[in-house]
Amino acid sequence: MTRPAARPDLGVSGRDLGSEILRVERINKWFHRGRHNEQHVLRDVDLRVRKGEVLVVIGPSGSGKSTLLRCVNFIAPPETGSVTFLGETLSLERLSRFDLRGRLDFERRLRHFRTKIGMVFQQFNLFPHMTALENVAAAPVHVLGLSKEEARRRALEELDRVGMAAKASSYPSQLSGGQKQRVAIARALVMKPELMLFDEATSALDPELIGGILDEMRRLADEGMTMIVVTHEMGFAREVGDRLVFMDHGRIVEEGPAREVLTSPSNPRTQEFLRAIL
Amino acid sequence: MIASGVVAYTFRWSVVSESIGEFGRGLLVTLELSALSLVLSLALGLVVALARLSPLAPLRLVAYGYVQIFRALSLYIYVLWIYFGLASAVGVNLSPLAAGVVALTALNSAYMAEIYRSALAAVDPGQREAALSLGFGRVRAFTTVTLPQAVRIAVPGLVNQFIDIVKDSSIIAIIGTLDLMGVANQLVSYYRAPFELYTLVAAFYLALVLSISAAATMLERRLQRHLA
Repeated sequence: MTRPAARPDLGVSGRDLGSEILRVERINKWFHRGRHNEQHVLRDVDLRVRKGEVLVVIGPSGSGKSTLLRCVNFIAPPETGSVTFLGETLSLERLSRFDLRGRLDFERRLRHFRTKIGMVFQQFNLFPHMTALENVAAAPVHVLGLSKEEARRRALEELDRVGMAAKASSYPSQLSGGQKQRVAIARALVMKPELMLFDEATSALDPELIGGILDEMRRLADEGMTMIVVTHEMGFAREVGDRLVFMDHGRIVEEGPAREVLTSPSNPRTQEFLRAIL
Repeated sequence: MIASGVVAYTFRWSVVSESIGEFGRGLLVTLELSALSLVLSLALGLVVALARLSPLAPLRLVAYGYVQIFRALSLYIYVLWIYFGLASAVGVNLSPLAAGVVALTALNSAYMAEIYRSALAAVDPGQREAALSLGFGRVRAFTTVTLPQAVRIAVPGLVNQFIDIVKDSSIIAIIGTLDLMGVANQLVSYYRAPFELYTLVAAFYLALVLSISAAATMLERRLQRHLA
């Protein structure tokens, strides 16, 4: 695939980058495993994403990449720091456990926040008791309050876009991994998100199915979707990523234009990691 | 000398056909007792399971106590305690049927709470995360995504519990309900044909339990159809 030459005002991929859409500020996250075993998994992480940008996150396992992604939509809420998305800032920092009204208000704002951020998981996480169509139509019905007919119409449209319309009435157990992930992408896109989070979306797929999902992600990027992609697919990172961050031990160690970082990393740990996997 | 005290037993299978109508009425009472107890313990069991999984420690403690207490003693004790004990001490006068339903529900809801709890824990947390990431509220995520999957996992255990309810409901006859067992006891003292009548009542319970198992197998197959 050929792309226009990089210009300073454009992303490396040649995509037009708009204003800042997401700002993650100084987030910290601990995993609590028993009273005396606390693990500091994210340390003062800052992140900014502009509209239309594809940000790739790489790093060794346990470096906090997935956790960072899960902090963006508070699936794994960061204990400190804040996330600002489309002008709305969410933070648990000053929210007391006992402030019931505050927590309810937070929940309400969080739900709205999440409808605008789509997420695709490594293990697909399709609802096994629903057909592909019902999986995609569930959120429009239960979250947006659309009528069943309208929700199904939109769901079918999204399934069609990822080439899964013919499997609309199949259950997840009847689908291959690649097909499941396409349905999962449609399920996220039906909410018309402004940001998509991909958490190792191809890591659980058979090798021959990976390309199809990456193509789907590339198409989305080309349509101008803002994306944060945690991945081990360096080819995808280089070709589709505008910017790349390398994480290690809960910190962002290196950050820069994707192609630049991948070809000439400046941090020794990034160099070591890339040498090991390429 | 050896058989001096034993009177030869004459089989009178005719009492079976004579009392079949009575048994039919007893069957209806057994079904009523079991069905009411099933519905109530299914609902109460879920409430207790949710309390056990609650983030609020006092609620968890109460639910834990409930499960421990009601699983600890036998139905025989509960039914006597509720029907005779409560009646004389606090003046709560329940009908035998109502006392039976309360005793069966208390005991079985405790077991069902544990079945629900392990089933809820067995649902992949990624399911809830996917629902939340789409903007589902906690309650919606639970009712549309987690609970339906947990129920499918819980069904075999819940069916076992239902079979226990049906069988154990025979114990309620000691306080005078005219369920299958109560009818059998009455007719035995009337006809003096314990072998025939207790065989008949056993056949009724057997048929009942086997029908439930068969229905449950069909239900399970239906529910598990699409689960990987």
